[in-house]
Amino acid sequence: MNQKVDVPIATLLSYDPKTRQVKPILVSWNGRDYPIIKIGLHHSYRVGRTLFHVFSAVSDSIFFRLVLNTDNLFWRLEEISDGLPD
Amino acid sequence: MDCRINLPFNPKPPTIMHIDLNSCFASIEQQANPLLRGKPIAVAAYQTPNGCILAPSIEAKRLGIKVGMRVKECKLIYPNLQVLSPDPWKYRHVHLRLREIIGEYTDKFSPKSIDEFVLNLEGYPAFKKGMVAVGREIKEKIIKHIGDWLRVSIGIGPNRFLAKQAAGLKKPDGLEEINAINYEEIYSRLTLTDLNGIKKANASRLNLTGIYTVMDLYRAGIPNLKAAFRSIAGYYWHLRLHGWEIDDVEFGRKSLGAMYSLPRPLVQAQEIAPILCKLVEKAGFRMRRSGFMAKGVHVAILYRDHCFWHHGKTQTDSLFDSRDIYKKAFKIMSASPYTKPVANLAVSVFNLEKVKSTQLDLFGNNRKTSLVSALDKINSRWGDFVITPAIMMGMQDKVPDRIGFGNIKDLEQFVIGNTSR
Repeated sequence: MNQKVDVPIATLLSYDPKTRQVKPILVSWNGRDYPIIKIGLHHSYRVGRTLFHVFSAVSDSIFFRLVLNTDNLFWRLEEISDGLPD
Repeated sequence: MDCRINLPFNPKPPTIMHIDLNSCFASIEQQANPLLRGKPIAVAAYQTPNGCILAPSIEAKRLGIKVGMRVKECKLIYPNLQVLSPDPWKYRHVHLRLREIIGEYTDKFSPKSIDEFVLNLEGYPAFKKGMVAVGREIKEKIIKHIGDWLRVSIGIGPNRFLAKQAAGLKKPDGLEEINAINYEEIYSRLTLTDLNGIKKANASRLNLTGIYTVMDLYRAGIPNLKAAFRSIAGYYWHLRLHGWEIDDVEFGRKSLGAMYSLPRPLVQAQEIAPILCKLVEKAGFRMRRSGFMAKGVHVAILYRDHCFWHHGKTQTDSLFDSRDIYKKAFKIMSASPYTKPVANLAVSVFNLEKVKSTQLDLFGNNRKTSLVSALDKINSRWGDFVITPAIMMGMQDKVPDRIGFGNIKDLEQFVIGNTSR
């Protein structure tokens, strides 16, 4: 099931200077921690001048669309999915 | 005297490469969400039953789900089909990353659409590696640097037409070449309607002149082809199939527009006016951002009963301000003789001309131009539609950002404009 949401989310971000990669490694949502095992896609877009980074991330069984607002550095969860039909 | 002569197949080694991202939007969604990989999914304009399928995944295509079908038709074929809304920025991102990879090999390339590129490696160092080797390398780079789920079909040929044709020979993940050695064998496998640009009507015309197969078309003399197509197009087909370039033409911008499929049917002009206004605002903003003004406005309406009405009007004065375009568009729309539920509404501006700073006086009102520019700046700084005409109140969710398969003319400009802020 794919569900659109729009809520703040606690996110742990890692930066590896060797590979020059930045990625979320853990999110806490609904009282549970979900280690991120894969970033499917990382893209960005702007609303006006504000740059947003979008991480399409998956734990073992849940997909999270995580959006970082680079103006205030706040994270929001915009979409979750278990990959199964509605 | 007609000096056009029958040519042999172009003996030049192929230097043109056509790259086509397979099931573009759906594959990118599966790339983003690995839980969707290997499953039949589709990206549709709307997720509602009447929403139009824009891109089925490779798995959905295997079930018979095609572009242009309605969501409800697809659900009859496969009830568990997952239907997603388009996410234009994801697709723009992948397009731009593809562009970066391709740019490492040649600067003679052109995007034909959001998911297609044509490259010419003639005279570039990469050509020495061999076209097939370059094709393989590009595939590997896409997997490594953009996404491990993304697959492209690559076609190689002596001209753009044959390169595209070769890209279509094997999908997904093909790497095929049409050249002076194998063209006969490949042509003999194809039917006339397999050729890009030949559909039933053209095939019937060809049949009337005794051309039934691609090899017949290849062997046909130029007079015969001209008679079949009743135009110079016959000669162009002769060149295409013989591997000579005729399609290396880039068309400039001729019009700019915006279109919206109404989720619920509206009849009254006052109900449709806010949507028309938003479409005009979008088209007007893009027009000004591209540095144009327009001397023509066109409105097209598709009604629920599939009746289509459209009308365009040209004028002597140039239009720059969206409010002026809206007035013209509303007048045109009001001239429609039908009072029926509207399914699709489109507005475009045409007869474009570049804005030159010395021409600003032509508006006779520089204050108005300054005001429009100031409003555009505010919207660029704080986000689209921060300041809008009052008629657009309540329209936030209507006419969302969409991306056309064919229209990528302002993509680069859009992104460069954004990143340079």
